[in-house]
Amino acid sequence: MASRVIELMVNAEPRELLAPPGTTLLAALREGLGLTAAKRGCAQGTCGTCTVVLDGVPVFACLIAVETIQGASVDTLEGVSGPDGELDEVQAAFLEGFATQCGFCTSGMIMVAEALLAENPDPSHEDIVRAISGNVCRCTGYALIIAAIRAAAARRAAAAAVA
Amino acid sequence: MSLTVELPTSADDAVGLLADGGLVMAGGTVVMPLLNTSAHDVATLVSLRGAGLSGIKMAGAVAELGAATTLAQVGRDERLALLGPVIESIGSPPLRNLATVAGNLFVPSGDLAVALLALDADVEVAGPGGRERMSVAAVLGGGLAPGCVVTGVRFTVPAAGEFVYTKAMRRRMNSGSIVTVAAVLGYTDGVVTSARVALGGAWSRPRRSAAAEAELIGAPLSRERAERAGAAAASAADPPTDAYASAWYRRRVLPIHVRRALIGE
Repeated sequence: MASRVIELMVNAEPRELLAPPGTTLLAALREGLGLTAAKRGCAQGTCGTCTVVLDGVPVFACLIAVETIQGASVDTLEGVSGPDGELDEVQAAFLEGFATQCGFCTSGMIMVAEALLAENPDPSHEDIVRAISGNVCRCTGYALIIAAIRAAAARRAAAAAVA
Repeated sequence: MSLTVELPTSADDAVGLLADGGLVMAGGTVVMPLLNTSAHDVATLVSLRGAGLSGIKMAGAVAELGAATTLAQVGRDERLALLGPVIESIGSPPLRNLATVAGNLFVPSGDLAVALLALDADVEVAGPGGRERMSVAAVLGGGLAPGCVVTGVRFTVPAAGEFVYTKAMRRRMNSGSIVTVAAVLGYTDGVVTSARVALGGAWSRPRRSAAAEAELIGAPLSRERAERAGAAAASAADPPTDAYASAWYRRRVLPIHVRRALIGE
C-alpha cells in the first residue's frame, strides 16, 4: 500500500510527514522529523527509552503505527526546554542531581516525569517508582533519577509559590 | 513483504476488511513487537484504534467494556475499582496507556483475562455472520473464528469482597506472571455456595480450576479449605515453563498463592 501523509501536532507545532505502512511513531519522529531524543531500545515496549507523551499520557513510541494516530498531539524531549534552550525544572534537576549516566534512558525518564508532574504536582516516592516502572536504566541509576523527579516537583512548587 | 495498514472506523468496517484476511491490532503492544523484531509474514494489519470500540458503560451492576478500551482507562474508573489491583499488576503505566481489554484475551498469560474468567464475563464478537456472545472461557480456549473481532466484554460487578485477586511476580511492578489467581465466591449463610477460581500460569492459557472450586463449595471459607483448594489446583495444573518461571516452580508455589488470594494470608 502507498505511504500516507501523516499530520501531527509535535511539541505544539503542526508537522507532517510521509510514512510507509507500519512506520512506528518512533521512526516517524527520528527519521521523518529529525527528532532523535526518543531512542530505539528494545522495540517491544519493555525498556521505555522511546517514551513520548501522546495526547497527554506517556506511551512507548515503538508500539504505535503512526497512521493509527493521525492528528494526535505528541510531545517529545525536544519540546521540554524553553524557547532559548533554557532547561525546565525536570531537566535542571536531572543535570544537577547527576541523574544521567550513559544517558540512553534519560529522554524517556524525563518524558515520564513530565507526564507524572502534569497530573500529580507532588508525587510521593511510591508514585514516582510506579511512574518510571516501565523505564529501564541499565546503569541502575534509579535512586538519583527518583531524587531528581522529587527535586523537580519541589522546584515547580517553589516557582508557583513565587508566581 | 509489503504491508497494508487498514483503519476501519467501525466494527462492521473491520469485519468487512478482515474478509480478505489480516491481523487485528488494538493497542499494538503485542503486534508491534512482532513487526519490529521478527521476520514476519503479516501482509495486512487491521487497526481498531479508530473503530469506536473504546469506552466503559455501566447498566446497574453490569459493566460493558469496549474492546479497545485501554487498561489505563479501566484502572482509572471508580465504578470498576475491583479491577484496580488487576490493572496495576499488568506492565507499566505507558504500556497500560496503549494495551487494551480485548488484547489481553490474546496474550499468552493475560492477567485481566484471568480476572474476567473469574467474573464469568462474556465477550461480544462481530463476524461475517453477525454478532454473537461467547463466554470468555471459550475465547481463551479456542480463540475466534477467522474474520471475527471482539467488540467488547461484559460482566456483572460482584458485591464488595466477593472478588479476590493476586499475582505472583518476579518484581513488585512490571513483570509477567508467575501465577495469577482470581476468584469470585458466593455465600449463603456463611457457606460458600458458588465458586469461580481462575488461574494464570497453571496451564499455558488462563483457565478455571474445577478441582479448586469443588474444594470450596459447601463449607465456610477457612484456611484449611483454602489450602485444600490450592493443593487441588496444583494437582490438576499443567504449568508452562517460560522466562519468568519453570513449570516445577509454578506448581510448587501455586497452592500458596491460591490460599493467599482466598484468605489474604
